Amino acid sequence: MSKDNNSAAVQVRKKPLKLRIWNNRGFYLMFLPVFFFVLIIYYWPMLGIRYSFYSYKLGKLTWVGLEHFKSMFGQKEFWLAFKNTLVISVVKLLLNTFVAVIISIFLNEMGNMFCKKFIQTIIYLPHFMSYAVVAAIFTLFLSPSSTGFINETLKNWGVIEKSIDFLHNKAMWQPIFQIINLWKETGWGTVIFFATLAGISPDQYEAADIDGATRLQKIWYITLPSLANTIIIVLILNMAKVLNIFEPVFVLYNTRVLEVSDVISTYVYRKTFLTAIPDYGYTTAVGLFKSIVGCVLMLISNEASKKVRGRGII
Amino acid sequence: MADNQKKAAEPKLHKKHGIKVFDVVNYIVFAIIALIVIIPIWKVVVDSFNAVGVYQFRLWPSDPTFAGYLTIMSTAKLARPFINSVVTTVLGTLVGLIMSTLGGYVLNQYEMPGRSAMSYFLLFTMIFSGGMIPEYLVMKQLHLVDSMWILVVKHGMNVYNLVLMKNFFEGIPGSLYEAAKLDGCSPMQIFYKVVLPLSKAALASVGLMFAVTVWNDYSTVQIYITNPTQVNFQYMLRVMIMDGDTPTTAYKVSQNTLYYASIVCAILPFMVAYPFLQQYFVTGVNVGAVKE
Repeated sequence: MSKDNNSAAVQVRKKPLKLRIWNNRGFYLMFLPVFFFVLIIYYWPMLGIRYSFYSYKLGKLTWVGLEHFKSMFGQKEFWLAFKNTLVISVVKLLLNTFVAVIISIFLNEMGNMFCKKFIQTIIYLPHFMSYAVVAAIFTLFLSPSSTGFINETLKNWGVIEKSIDFLHNKAMWQPIFQIINLWKETGWGTVIFFATLAGISPDQYEAADIDGATRLQKIWYITLPSLANTIIIVLILNMAKVLNIFEPVFVLYNTRVLEVSDVISTYVYRKTFLTAIPDYGYTTAVGLFKSIVGCVLMLISNEASKKVRGRGII
Repeated sequence: MADNQKKAAEPKLHKKHGIKVFDVVNYIVFAIIALIVIIPIWKVVVDSFNAVGVYQFRLWPSDPTFAGYLTIMSTAKLARPFINSVVTTVLGTLVGLIMSTLGGYVLNQYEMPGRSAMSYFLLFTMIFSGGMIPEYLVMKQLHLVDSMWILVVKHGMNVYNLVLMKNFFEGIPGSLYEAAKLDGCSPMQIFYKVVLPLSKAALASVGLMFAVTVWNDYSTVQIYITNPTQVNFQYMLRVMIMDGDTPTTAYKVSQNTLYYASIVCAILPFMVAYPFLQQYFVTGVNVGAVKE
């Protein structure tokens, strides 16, 4: 088998390039639709980056050089959005990963297979609901009006006196955002950890049993170290994407909590689509800044991934 | 029964060593977690059948009605977005599958000159992008702004899913290709006579990922579409609930009943399919993350 492959490879290498290309013409033809699709959807917009150096208002282009970047870095609003992006995404990533690890470890301890599968099925469920739906559900539940499930229940229990306008409260918005995200994504986040846990050899637990280890000791000394690598990979993979956060915030934020909820993408959106005379040049510049930082993060993550597991993420 | 099987499978794994308390607490905590996840969903479903908008949590509707669902079906402003969602999801999934299988198949041809250049061509899009505004301007030039087909175009090409497909295809033994080649099959014939029939699980897995993405997309519609005949259901739902823009209807239905019924419609397709297709969803994640 391997000998066959080798001889085939040698033969292929011997053939001139033109012939090899001709022999593979079928494959090139099949790649053509993909090529044009990617070219139009991904590469064509990259040409638009040049607008960052122009003022692009009402369809008129005027060269402004680095003006947009200067005004961007001079704006408090922009830095606020940048800070919020980092805080919201990083907290979301760490929190979701942490809780997902805890849940997968303890669910893995569950002896009854049926119960385990059943709970997995349930906690995966919210992942398949859109952010728009999740936001709609929780906006209705958290509503301060008389139909708001949570406010009315809390009032009935005597926990609070007056309804709280949760989503319009600056101090509460970020914690509530994180809780809602936890509800939606943590269950799904456990999938990858379960894959790792399934791969742990039962021999290790048996050996620990013989040594008289308790359940918690087994978790601490066997299960957790086995997950360490996966945890690092999950963090690295997602670190590269921290600036991209858009839809989860977009569906829940509102003008009254802009200060704590505005992220770069929503900032770009507002400056473009909610402004009377938008300057496409300026918002393109903000987008370019985001892309460049994102690119750097991606390359760093890639290197980190190579170190940790011997291969990159891209 | 299940317990017996489990014991047979992993005989010595969790013997009596562990404290019984541990198990009890564990089951209780997970019962609570499951309830936390399920109660909001259950309340939405129950209230969608409830004629009066109530805030309490009920296990069953107190005053059952189908008015919410009948309203959605009979109001063009609500039914139209639902149909748009179905159409774009089906088409988007189809285009997505065609592109990712073609690309994944070609990228697996390691003897093909230029293979790595093609690979870099695709992977570069994962680390750098033009950004929201240049994309918008390109779509405008393509006359895709204010058209629901934007959903098909935007999601029809997904490099991540393409790489996923490639990884799935790598599991097909090379000898099968060789045999097909010796039988005189062209690359295209090998593709649909050998590769595709052997990849049904992969097609289901990746297809579901496309379907979920397109069906659940709200922000693309928010950015690109203003024409009410072109919006999808997620957008409609959002506008109705968050902006209070409830369409006038022929039915007498309380606002909340209609809201909750719409939410159920928006999550119905995957909630119904999910228990049966769970394995395919999970495989996709694992192949993507573990092998990549």
